[in-house]
Amino acid sequence: MSIRHFGYQDKILLLQHGSTELLSLAQRRGALLHKLLSGTGIFEQDLHKPHGRLHHNDWLKLLQNCQQQLNSPELPYLLGGALLNSRYISLCQSLQYAQNLRQALAQLYYFRHQLFPCFYGRLYQQQHCILIELKPALGLANQQGFMLTVVFSLLLELIKQQLGSVCGISLQLQQPASPQLQHQLHWGVDVSFNQSVDCISIPLTLWQQRFIDADLQKFSATRRTCRQLNHVLSKQRALPESICHLQRRALPQLLNQDQVATVLGLSSSSLKRQLSQHNTNFATLLDEVRRDAARQLLQQGHYSNRQLAQKLGYSDEHNFRRAFKRWTGLIPSSFKGMFNFN
Amino acid sequence: MWRQHRYKMLFSLLLLLSGLLLAIDTGDAKHSNEFDALDILGEGTTLLVACGWLGLIISSRPTGRVTEWLYYGSLLLVYSYFLDLLDEFIRYPDTMRLMSWLESLPAPVGMLVLTYGLIGWHREQRAINRQLRGRELFLRDHQLIDPLTQLYGLEYLQAVLQREIELHQSQHKALSLLVLDVDNFAAVNRRHGMAAGDAYLSQLSELLSSHLRYSDVVCRYAGDRFIALLPNTALPQAHIMAQHLRQQLSQLSVENSGPQLTLVEMAVQQDSAISALQAADQAMALAKKTTALKLQPI
Repeated sequence: MSIRHFGYQDKILLLQHGSTELLSLAQRRGALLHKLLSGTGIFEQDLHKPHGRLHHNDWLKLLQNCQQQLNSPELPYLLGGALLNSRYISLCQSLQYAQNLRQALAQLYYFRHQLFPCFYGRLYQQQHCILIELKPALGLANQQGFMLTVVFSLLLELIKQQLGSVCGISLQLQQPASPQLQHQLHWGVDVSFNQSVDCISIPLTLWQQRFIDADLQKFSATRRTCRQLNHVLSKQRALPESICHLQRRALPQLLNQDQVATVLGLSSSSLKRQLSQHNTNFATLLDEVRRDAARQLLQQGHYSNRQLAQKLGYSDEHNFRRAFKRWTGLIPSSFKGMFNFN
Repeated sequence: MWRQHRYKMLFSLLLLLSGLLLAIDTGDAKHSNEFDALDILGEGTTLLVACGWLGLIISSRPTGRVTEWLYYGSLLLVYSYFLDLLDEFIRYPDTMRLMSWLESLPAPVGMLVLTYGLIGWHREQRAINRQLRGRELFLRDHQLIDPLTQLYGLEYLQAVLQREIELHQSQHKALSLLVLDVDNFAAVNRRHGMAAGDAYLSQLSELLSSHLRYSDVVCRYAGDRFIALLPNTALPQAHIMAQHLRQQLSQLSVENSGPQLTLVEMAVQQDSAISALQAADQAMALAKKTTALKLQPI
């Protein structure tokens, strides 16, 4: 069964899953409600309706308004905590009643379209830890850093609350290092900047540790509420995410635009149009998929350039080497050496 | 401003009066049918405008070189226009060339002097802008104020701390910091809601700034951590201030059944703001460990 994907004009977010929290945070810091809402298509009277909804576009506009109105760098960190402890988000409540981190994250990933439709994750196991990579599932304009901070704050806050410490956890971010120490101050974990992916690394020992508030009955009750919410917010993915998913499964073959469009049930031209609404295009997505796959393969093991080129669907290894140099600025062998050294 | 320019105004009045007397002495009055209304109107207006400039310069500028240039330039213009207006009413004998020179020569000279004064004014304005910009970076930048607590934030703290460290080191004075942290603030937020947490923080910040001296700078270092900069204060004095503050703060937490607070004082011996702030973090971590062991309310 292929999961439906949402268009740019679908109202896929609930107002109570973030907007109301963000607005009250901003208002307590002196921002004016009508200025925050200007240009978003959200009406003041809808804010407290239980199932009031908004476009993802409006959400991005709202974030932008908040940053224009306020110079408050703590906003995304607080929003993460506020979401986690909100009484109106049953998904977040269910996270706290989970048995352990594994169950909580599985729950979050399964219902992510209700809270963070803008990201999807990938898990990699390493020797002592599990890496969770977050990739943007749709065009986030310049709000990717803000949203990443929100997600990571939510995760870290959950771990801090339920396991008592965030010891051993580290974060890698793509963004360049900022002179301010906001990340360290709010999160209390190691953060490294200028990395090739945005990911969080969680030690295996934390993974199975029992949550303080673990409660099987409450967990299944809140989970039922999440399921019911699925009738309102159906489980659908953003178009760029679906395309990356398809391409990745098809490797080493490469699907062309028409093939992808047929699988997704779209015409080729509307696929193109919808991608441009996400500020991306088909070739960029394909390139991204290959880049991630290459990095992952290189980190895993001992492939020759020829093997890598074959696995990624390059016609010969020279093309692969050139592409790799474009992505990382390094040739594959020195990347491998760097990784092994670390 | 007028009082600063008393002699200048007296001098200008005498100059104009002498011009008037000279004109009356050398020439004789015209008949009223010889007056040219249009000329009188034009020259009169020019004179009035020039007098207006003179007034504006006197009323808006303090004494100084640039003011002198501007003033005397305008005064020459006024003098020239004044004589120009007078010759509409007074006819001079043809042999007398002095009056027509006095009419036409001062105007261009006055223009030149005025222009030189304006250039000086421009330079002066640039210097003032530069001076303000440098100062406002430290004293006033509303962009750096945290909107919740109305205190300055981390960025400002770093800049001011760096400057103060340099100043205090060059003058061999002592600089101290007070670091205040709310213990387990996330739990407060969780139990009472984010709104209550925000209200608590702003209450705390007001109490902090009201119980410190005017010279101290209180900043919101992180979400639940405040740092006060105590210029020209040695550690023993900072210790006394901290004790005093602890008493005040303990009342706050008893009244509101709020969370525990940890307050640490430290002397700044580091060379840079970043290392000083790191030391502050370490001191705070140490203090938290020891209070956790003793289980002692502050």
